[in-house]
Amino acid sequence: MPKVFVGMSGGVDSSVAAMLLVEQGYDVTGVYMKNWSKDLPGMKCPWADDLADAKRVAVKLGIDFEVWDFEKEYHEKVVEYMLKEFKKGNTPNPDVMCNQEIKFKLFFEKAMERGADFIATGHYARIFSPESHLARAIDENKDQTYFLYRISEDAIAHTLFPVGEMLKPDVKKLAKEHGLHNAYKKESMGVCFVGEVGMKDFLKEYIDTQPGEIREVETEKKLGVHEGAVFYTIGQRHGLYLSGTAGEVNDGLPYYVVAKDLEKNIVYVSKNLNDSHIWTKELKLKDVLMRGEAKDVLVRLRHRAPLVKATFDKDTLHFENEIKRPAAGQSAVIYDGEICLGGGIIA
Amino acid sequence: MIYLDHAAATPVSAKVFEAMQPYFLNDFFNPSSAYLPAKKVASEYEEAKGKIAHAIGAKANDLIMTAGATEANNLAFTAVSPNGEVLYLKTEHDSVRNPAKRFVYQEIEVDKNGRILTDDLRAKISDKTELISVALANNELGTIQPLAEIAAFIREVRFDRLSRGVKTPLYLHSDASQAMNLLDINVARLGVDLLTLNAAKVYGPKGVGALYVSHDVRLTPLALGGGQENGLRSGTQNVPGVIGFAEALVNAKEHLNGNRKKYAEFRKILLEGIKDYELINKKHSLDNFVVLCFDGLDAERLVYLLEDREVYVSTGAACAASKGVRSHVLTAIGLSDSEIAGSLRLTLGETNTKEQILEAVEIINEVVAGEKARIHA
Repeated sequence: MPKVFVGMSGGVDSSVAAMLLVEQGYDVTGVYMKNWSKDLPGMKCPWADDLADAKRVAVKLGIDFEVWDFEKEYHEKVVEYMLKEFKKGNTPNPDVMCNQEIKFKLFFEKAMERGADFIATGHYARIFSPESHLARAIDENKDQTYFLYRISEDAIAHTLFPVGEMLKPDVKKLAKEHGLHNAYKKESMGVCFVGEVGMKDFLKEYIDTQPGEIREVETEKKLGVHEGAVFYTIGQRHGLYLSGTAGEVNDGLPYYVVAKDLEKNIVYVSKNLNDSHIWTKELKLKDVLMRGEAKDVLVRLRHRAPLVKATFDKDTLHFENEIKRPAAGQSAVIYDGEICLGGGIIA
Repeated sequence: MIYLDHAAATPVSAKVFEAMQPYFLNDFFNPSSAYLPAKKVASEYEEAKGKIAHAIGAKANDLIMTAGATEANNLAFTAVSPNGEVLYLKTEHDSVRNPAKRFVYQEIEVDKNGRILTDDLRAKISDKTELISVALANNELGTIQPLAEIAAFIREVRFDRLSRGVKTPLYLHSDASQAMNLLDINVARLGVDLLTLNAAKVYGPKGVGALYVSHDVRLTPLALGGGQENGLRSGTQNVPGVIGFAEALVNAKEHLNGNRKKYAEFRKILLEGIKDYELINKKHSLDNFVVLCFDGLDAERLVYLLEDREVYVSTGAACAASKGVRSHVLTAIGLSDSEIAGSLRLTLGETNTKEQILEAVEIINEVVAGEKARIHA
């Protein structure tokens, strides 16, 4: 029997993944990765409840269950990276980093040391064998390859995504049929590792900020104040508290964040939807990671965003049509058909 | 369903529920209002407090009604001056440990049965010690503490302080939440200055508790407002809750001896029927507590497997388990990590029948055998 270590978060997807592996006859060990357990003010970290949910499922499946503590490494590799990027004015994606550094590196390596043939998670993604290509999930609506594009070829070759072949409603149905209680669990929102808390509230705990001005980019006119430029993301439309006279500001058109000056602590906004800060036909990438070559590609610029056509040249994407520019620090993920070739961080 | 977790929660008894109902729908008045129907409610509220007080040998005026034992424990610690020092038993509940940690504190060690080591108390007490907190019965082991003995020692210390002109006050506080079903509690006999009571563990409603306060203790309110409960606990009185608490406590007192006998018999059935365990709470324990260690097994797994068979038990205090931390109580009595991991707490109560206990023995044996088979497979 091939030996599999399956990451179990307590959620329905990884629970069903574990159940499917047991049914398929693998020698399965469930593992809860403890990445974060700190409570924030007014916000209890749900890790102990998640752990209990995961363990209950493992016990009902009759499999071994372990807790692997990556809290220190998670802080070093994911949280510190994230804070550093935010301080630079970028909008990093902690999930991408967590998959690259923790789940498909530390977890993968430790499982291999323990004699595993495979690791498995509840991600919605597929792996085409024998070529070991990472590919989009059957459920296009749930596809999570956007968060997985940076994982290593070695990890991909030894990973199973049991729910990647299924549609989410079917996963839930299966969980109910098998009496997995977490079929009813609400999906978590907010910063993935902290629980039901927004990124802004999380950052407030870790980054010292000063209030500053919100200015209209075309006129340099002061429209309001912000709590700290790092909290704002390019393209953001909500949560801007603008003052000013009714006629000038409240003409019904929303303002977007189009730029930030971190040094002067100024957030620039515009209601000109054609502002060059918003639209572009070209994106430069850094930290490019590609597992294959292709010139004409499909690109995903946000999780669950539609795929757009582009040509890829070394580190630059040239789009067929104008795209709304994503915030620096986010990822552009590159596909050749269904196959996820890799991608890069938007510079 | 076989419910063996009465230390975590008890159902509200039918009599209690019935007694409470009129105060939700008809007699809903604010006891502080001026008109007669409200005054009637006020006097029934005071009468209920009187019953609770009577059950512990005190007067209504000695009781501060609270929203549960946690609040009562916190309120007790307001007796301590900012620079005062406190002592508490190492096995105390978090609702004592955490407020205690706001002061200079020390923990009193316990023996392997969880009983206080009085020599350690003698060694740690100083002229700055203002409050000593020792639960009457522990919530994870059921260990009963020799409170009268501790009180006698405290009286000696007070005399000694007096004779040396040391004016620091010294109070004994005890959380009696777990003990109220099985022990006849009398504040004078126990010699306590502060005593925490809890309705939720005696078939009364959750969120209702009380702090008994002897006359010479000065407390500070935790929340300010209308000045109810002698100015120490502002907020409109929880009339149905307190009515229910009084009814529950009166019932508990009536059934004290019958319950003890019943639980002792059930405990014997469990201990004789269940296989391959070590009994953790061997001595000085409440009759309804059975703590078993299945060394080499993971008791948390047993909890989930038993849950599948509709037998509900726990691995320790419900709140400790949900935080994912090792029980500080089992650590304090010297159990190893693997013994702690293998420990299961069964707490008996009024929902249980002899048939249930016999069935529970069968199910526990099956589940334990199944786990062992899985591990050795």
